[in-house]
Amino acid sequence: MTGQKKPAGYWLLVLHAHLPYVRHPEYPDFLEEDWLYEAITETYLPLLEIFENLARDGVFFRLTMTITPSLAGMLSDKLLQDRYTARLNKLVELAEKEVWRTKNLPQFSATARMYEKKLKNARRLWEKYHGNILTGFKRLQDEGFLEIITCCATHGFLPLAIHRQAQRAQLSIATADYQRHFGRRPRGIWLAECAYQPEIDEELARQKLRFFFLEAHGILYASPRPRYGVFAPVFCPSGVAAFGRDLETAHQVWSADTGYPGDGDYREFYRDVGYDLDYDYIKPYLHSDGVRRNVGLKYYRITGRVPLDKKEPYNPEWASNKAAEHAGNFMFNREKQIEYLASIMDRQPVVVSMYDAELFGHWWFEGPDFLNFLFRKIHYDQKTIKTITPTEYLQIYPRNQIVSPAASSWGDKGYFEVWLNGSNDYIYRHLHKASERMVELARKFSRPSDQERRALNQAARELLLAQSSDWAFIMTTGTMIEYARKRTQDHLLNFNQLYDQILNRRIEENFLKDLEYRNNIFPEIDYRVYAG
Amino acid sequence: MVKSVSSGKIVRETGTKPSPTGLPAAYGETKLVILPRDPLWIFAYWEIDDLTRKELKKKFGANYSASRYALRVYDVTDIDFDGSNAHAYFDVQINPDANNWYINCQKTNRAWCVDLGLILPDGKFYPIIRSNVVKMPRVGISPIIDEKWGILQKEFEQLMQLSGLERIGKSSFDVVKLMKERWEEIVAVSLPSSLAVSSFRLQPKKGAAKKDFWLKADTELIVYGSTERDAVLTVQGKKVNLRDDGSFSLRFSLPDGVIDIPIEARSADKKMGKKIIFKVSRKSVKG
Repeated sequence: MTGQKKPAGYWLLVLHAHLPYVRHPEYPDFLEEDWLYEAITETYLPLLEIFENLARDGVFFRLTMTITPSLAGMLSDKLLQDRYTARLNKLVELAEKEVWRTKNLPQFSATARMYEKKLKNARRLWEKYHGNILTGFKRLQDEGFLEIITCCATHGFLPLAIHRQAQRAQLSIATADYQRHFGRRPRGIWLAECAYQPEIDEELARQKLRFFFLEAHGILYASPRPRYGVFAPVFCPSGVAAFGRDLETAHQVWSADTGYPGDGDYREFYRDVGYDLDYDYIKPYLHSDGVRRNVGLKYYRITGRVPLDKKEPYNPEWASNKAAEHAGNFMFNREKQIEYLASIMDRQPVVVSMYDAELFGHWWFEGPDFLNFLFRKIHYDQKTIKTITPTEYLQIYPRNQIVSPAASSWGDKGYFEVWLNGSNDYIYRHLHKASERMVELARKFSRPSDQERRALNQAARELLLAQSSDWAFIMTTGTMIEYARKRTQDHLLNFNQLYDQILNRRIEENFLKDLEYRNNIFPEIDYRVYAG
Repeated sequence: MVKSVSSGKIVRETGTKPSPTGLPAAYGETKLVILPRDPLWIFAYWEIDDLTRKELKKKFGANYSASRYALRVYDVTDIDFDGSNAHAYFDVQINPDANNWYINCQKTNRAWCVDLGLILPDGKFYPIIRSNVVKMPRVGISPIIDEKWGILQKEFEQLMQLSGLERIGKSSFDVVKLMKERWEEIVAVSLPSSLAVSSFRLQPKKGAAKKDFWLKADTELIVYGSTERDAVLTVQGKKVNLRDDGSFSLRFSLPDGVIDIPIEARSADKKMGKKIIFKVSRKSVKG
C-alpha cells in the first residue's frame, strides 16, 4: 500500500458471531442444536469461503469478527462436528434429489442447482478443515485479514451481574479460552449485547483487552463530550478504547422497510420445502418427530408484500445482481459519508458498522455475496475509503480523548429492558445467589481434593451456562421460551446441588460425571477465578 | 442471540430423567437488591426471612398488621450514603405479598439506594433492609467540555447529528425482531385469503369472503422397482442408492411435455446389465 494516497477515512466492519451453548449428547436428535447447524451451513462456511477467496485473489480487506467462547466451544466439539457432518450429508442428498425433481421445472431448476453447488462447496470446506472451521478463521487472522475478538464467556450480561467476581470470571475465562483456540491473547472484546456500565472497562483492562464496542449513545452521552462523535474511538478512564456504532450503516442494513435484506429479488425465508413438499418425500430430512419445519431449501423470492402462496420463484441471477447493486450503493454512501466527515474532522474518521454475523446468510441469504461484492468493489473501484481493524486504527491514532462512556446496550430502547422485564426478571435473584455461593466456595476451597476440584469447576460451568443472556432474551422475544426457562433452571439447580454436595463433603460421583459429560464447556476452566 | 424463529418442541422420549423441579422459593435470608433497567426505572427484588418477620411482629405487636410495607428510594447522587444524608427520598407502597417491584425514579442522571421497610400506623418509616446503590445510565449530551479536545459548537453539533443523535433508542436492530416483523407482515397481508395452500402454516380464515370458484391440480410421477441388492442402479444416468432390500423409489415433478426415464441396473461384477426406458408424456387440456 506504500506510495498510495492516504484514504479519507476508514470503514470498520464488525460481525458478531454467537450462539448459546446448546449440546445434548443425552438425546440422539435435538431440535435446538439446529441453531448451530443452520448457522454453519448458511453463515459460517459461506463467510469463510468468501474471505479465503478474497485473500487468494489478492483483494485488500479487513474485518473484525467475534467468535464467542460458547460458539468456539461448539465449533471445536467432536460430537457436534460429527452430528453436523451427518446433517450436511443429508442436506446434500436432498439437494441432489431436488435437482432431479425440478429438472423439468425451469422456474425452479436453476435454484435447485444453486443449492447443490453451494452445499457441495460447503462440504468441501468443512472437509478441508476436518470439521473444525475455527482453524480456517484462525488462519485468516494469522494472515492479518481478520481480527477475531472474544466475548463474555457465555455471553453473560455484565451490568446485571452485580458481583464483581462474576463479571471478572466471564472475562478471564473468555480470554483464557481464546488462547486455547487462537494461540494468543485476544486484543479486543465484544461485550455481550454491547451492555456496558462505567467501571466494566477496568475489568477489561485487567484482562489486557485493548478495545471494545459500544452502541452509539454509549459514546454520545459520554462525559466529557466526545470530540468526534462516534467517528473516532475514545479511551475509557482505564485506558481501554471504545469504538461507537455508526447508526447510518446500521439502518441501511437493518431497517425493515428500507434495508437491503427486504428487497423483492432476495430469497424469501419463510417459504421452505420443509412445508411445501410432499410429506413422504421430505420426511427423511425432518427431525425424528416428523413435524414439518424449515429444512433450508427455499425456492421463492420475497416478491413484495404478498402472502406466501403469492411469492414468485427465486432467480439466483437476479438476486446476485441485486447484491452487487446494493454493495455498490453501500460503498457509494460510505465514500460520501467519509468524505464529508473528513472535511469537518482533523483526522481520518472511522465508521464502525456492527452486525450479527448470522444476519448474513441465515436471514439475508445473499448477505455473504453482498460482502464479497463490497470488499472487491472497495478494493478495485475507489480510493476514498479503506477497511481497517481496531488494532490498526489505534496504531495510526494512538492518542485519543479520555471520556467516561454512558451505560447502554444495543438492545431495543438502548438499555437493559430486553433482559430485565416481567418475562425474565425472576432469574436474577437466583443468578445472583449462585454467584455469591460460587465466590463462597472458591474462597473456602483453596486446597481441594481432585474430586472437589472437579465439582468446583463444574459448579462454575453450571453458573456460567445459566448466565447466558440468550435465555433472558428468548423469554422476552417469545419463541422457544420453554427451552430457555428450562436451561436457566437446570443449570441453576445443578449448581445448587453441587454447592450442597461440595459444602457437605458428599459429592455424588455419578451426578458429577454426568454433568461433566453433558455440560462440558470450557475444559480448562479454573474455578479459582471466583476467589478474587 | 438466537436466530431461529421456528417454534415447537420435539417429544423427548429417550433417557428422560426426573429432575428436581422449580427454583428455590426462598434462600432464607433478608436481602434487597436493585438493578437499573433504563435511565428512569429501577427493578428491585427482595426476600425477608421468617425470623425477621417474626421479630417484626413481636416488636410492633398489633401495630404490625396495621403497618404497610414500602420501599423508600433515596437520591444518593455523588454522596457516601449513611442513611441520613440523602438529597431527597420518596416512598413506594408495595403489596405485602410482592417480592419485586419496578420503580419509576422520575429523575435522570441520579444514583439511588432503597430501603425496604414498614410504614407504621403513626406514619414513621421503620427500615428493615437496605439495598446496593445504583448509578443510573446517564442520558443527554454531557455539559462538560474537554479543553484538550476543544471543538466549535457548530461543528460539534454537526458531528452529533451525523452520529445519529436523533435515532437513539428509536429502533433496535436485531435479527429476531426483524424476522418477526417480516413474518407478521406476511400474516397481515395473507388474511383473509382463501387461496392459501393447505400445507402452509397460514390457514385461510373461516367464513372469509367468497372468491371465484377455483381448481388447482398438478401431477407427479413415482418411479419404483427393485433389483439385486448389490447392483448399481442409474436412473437418467444418475446413480441411485438402493435400499437394503434392493428396492428403490423416486418422485419426479411431471409437467406438460415428454420425458424419457431410462433405468439401468448393472451387477456388482459389472458383467450383467438390464435396462428399462419409460417414455412419459403429459398434456393439460383446460376447459
